[in-house]
Amino acid sequence: MAAKRKSRATHTLVFLIPALALYTLFVIAPTLSSAYLSFTSWDGVSTKIHFIGFDNFAEIWNSERVRNALKNTLILTAVLVVLENAAAIALAMLVDQVRWARNLFRSVFYFPVLLSGIVMGFVWTIILNYNFGVLNQLLDLIGLGSLKADWLGSPRFALVSIILSTVWKQAGYYMIIYLAGLQGIPQELTEAAAIDGAGRWQQFKSITFPLLAGSLTVCSVLSMISSLKIFDQIAVMTDGGPGFATETLTYIVYKVGFGELRQGFGTAMAMVLFLLILIITVIQVKLLRKREVQL
Amino acid sequence: MAQKRIVQTAAPALALALMLSACGSGNGNNGGAADSSGSSSSAPASSAAAGSSAETPAKDVTFTIGYATGDPATKKAIADTIDAFMKANPHIKIKDMSEGTTTSYLDWLKTKDAVGEFPDLVEMRDTKIFADSGKIVELPSDLVDLFSSVPEVDGKKYNAPITLNAPEGIIYSKKAYADAGITEPPKTYDEFLADQEKLKTSGITPIVVGGKDIFHMGFWLNKFLIDEVYVGDPDWNSKRTAKMTSFTDAGPVQAMTDYKELFSKYVDKGWLSTADNQTASILVSGKAAQLFSGPWMFTQIHDADPSFDFGFYALPDRQGNVNVVGLPSPAGWSLSAEAAKDADKVEAMKTFIRFFFAKEQYSKYLQTVNGIPSTKEEVQYESLPQMQDVLKLMSDPNVKKSLPINNWWGENQIPPQFRDWYYKLMQELVLKNGDVKEYMKRADAEYDAEVKANAQQ
Repeated sequence: MAAKRKSRATHTLVFLIPALALYTLFVIAPTLSSAYLSFTSWDGVSTKIHFIGFDNFAEIWNSERVRNALKNTLILTAVLVVLENAAAIALAMLVDQVRWARNLFRSVFYFPVLLSGIVMGFVWTIILNYNFGVLNQLLDLIGLGSLKADWLGSPRFALVSIILSTVWKQAGYYMIIYLAGLQGIPQELTEAAAIDGAGRWQQFKSITFPLLAGSLTVCSVLSMISSLKIFDQIAVMTDGGPGFATETLTYIVYKVGFGELRQGFGTAMAMVLFLLILIITVIQVKLLRKREVQL
Repeated sequence: MAQKRIVQTAAPALALALMLSACGSGNGNNGGAADSSGSSSSAPASSAAAGSSAETPAKDVTFTIGYATGDPATKKAIADTIDAFMKANPHIKIKDMSEGTTTSYLDWLKTKDAVGEFPDLVEMRDTKIFADSGKIVELPSDLVDLFSSVPEVDGKKYNAPITLNAPEGIIYSKKAYADAGITEPPKTYDEFLADQEKLKTSGITPIVVGGKDIFHMGFWLNKFLIDEVYVGDPDWNSKRTAKMTSFTDAGPVQAMTDYKELFSKYVDKGWLSTADNQTASILVSGKAAQLFSGPWMFTQIHDADPSFDFGFYALPDRQGNVNVVGLPSPAGWSLSAEAAKDADKVEAMKTFIRFFFAKEQYSKYLQTVNGIPSTKEEVQYESLPQMQDVLKLMSDPNVKKSLPINNWWGENQIPPQFRDWYYKLMQELVLKNGDVKEYMKRADAEYDAEVKANAQQ
């Protein structure tokens, strides 16, 4: 019996080793290496690496630029989580109930998900350009020229433009998850509610939405993580500008680490971001799971 | 617009004049010292020999190349040279790694280095950083002799200067000026401001700025810094590093006050989402009357609309003095340390550099970018008439030559990360209608923090 158990353990280990080796090589080792680099002043180019203790973290704590990036990141995350999920639920309900061309609608709404963040960023940059952009030309054409704005060059609109374009890209992805959730809701429940005189809004509020709790947990955690890590759109559409108006934590990790030759400082910020995502995710999952159980 | 043949026999004399200006402009090892070392005489490179396959290695060799692609004319000119070289030397293959990017050239280069793709032959702009980290090697001595002068970094020559630094100035639509009743270029900065009012009144946006590309911000910001700071004190940067000067001093504050006033009143509303390569279209389409840039834009503007009539002048300061970018700085083609370990690659890269600077080939490059030649050998090329104004500026001893904030070197080199941060801060100054002195205090704090951080490396 003991020999059989030992043999089973050996087999398990043999099957685990390839995946573990790859995971160690590409995830664990770089993470540990980053943890070390965050305590250094390495510029990312030179061969010399100096240990400077907690200086990078002290600078992060005192940096106005980091505080501004953190504020932008949190605003983006909070708004994106709400808007992406609201849009995804609306789209899911639409494609769930539509009687004709159902697959066409699903494909159309899902299509932006297939675009890379870079491509999407370029497309929106062209649309929102002040002088040549489609949006401003359209406003001119319909006599609303006074509403023209520098959508990506104004601190007022740049963050909003990034949020809306990101919702456009991501909502289709979460729509699929919500659609699966909707199709798991027994038809009898909504039918019974309808017979009892419940309107569409009441049906949604009291039956559909509570029963989408599982999907909501998954989608809101995923959208929260992707929002905290938002990078492509910022890099392409605004380069963190105008000024520092759209700089986020991930963006300055890259900007400082690579562009400003402060890999040590950039890595320290990446570690802070890692901890931030970890803490927020744990809290969010705990709260949403609790809500699922209550429901 | 008729093109005019410009015989640039003035190039060596021009280089000498630049050397003299640099020597007289300061003692902070910011260019003056470097210039004199490159002035030893040697025979001009034979263009025939330079391009011939007799000197090229017989073995098949491949090397990678990387250069800044922000300016479409420069990108095209280098790509054309690479194609011509590979045609003339079929056994040498050049893999062009350069790509359009939204980030600055330094970001791109650093990223390439981080992923182990640092180009074998690279256009180097931040020479000291990469020289200190051992990423590039000294330029082979037989190549150094091709150039009228090669600035040094810590006593060593790393770069084959692609062109000499060219001045920036106002590129303007002659029609817009005529419509606004402006009959001649302004003689002082105040006259220039008065002209902006006239242009605005005539219904055209006075100035287009490509502020989406952070380097473009430097054209204007450095114009004011040169007038108010660097012309008076070429060693200002080194004093700032030593905390003997401050961004809150009268000079920098005046410079940024002028910048803020100009940008708040006369610049196109979409300046922060306009890329550098869109400025030519906006100018020729008549949406704006002027652009502040360098001669590399001439071809782009001419190609966008050959019938577009435009002029160029250097923008004077309040006293009517003309100060422009024009001192040499350590930048140009450099050989990577990794590639330098392979003798065949080195020979192939040397062959390419000789080909690039060979009279016939180099003149084509210069014509496309409207560049000022850096070679000892006399170079002639067909150029647009506006280029004559540029050459006059460069050879005029009354025009003071200087450098942008980030192009000084030696003791005057600023922390490399400061430039982009500072340009962004100045964007914010205009957007938030900030108090110049408060923003300059922030610049001081950031500068000192970066100096301290870099000292730890």
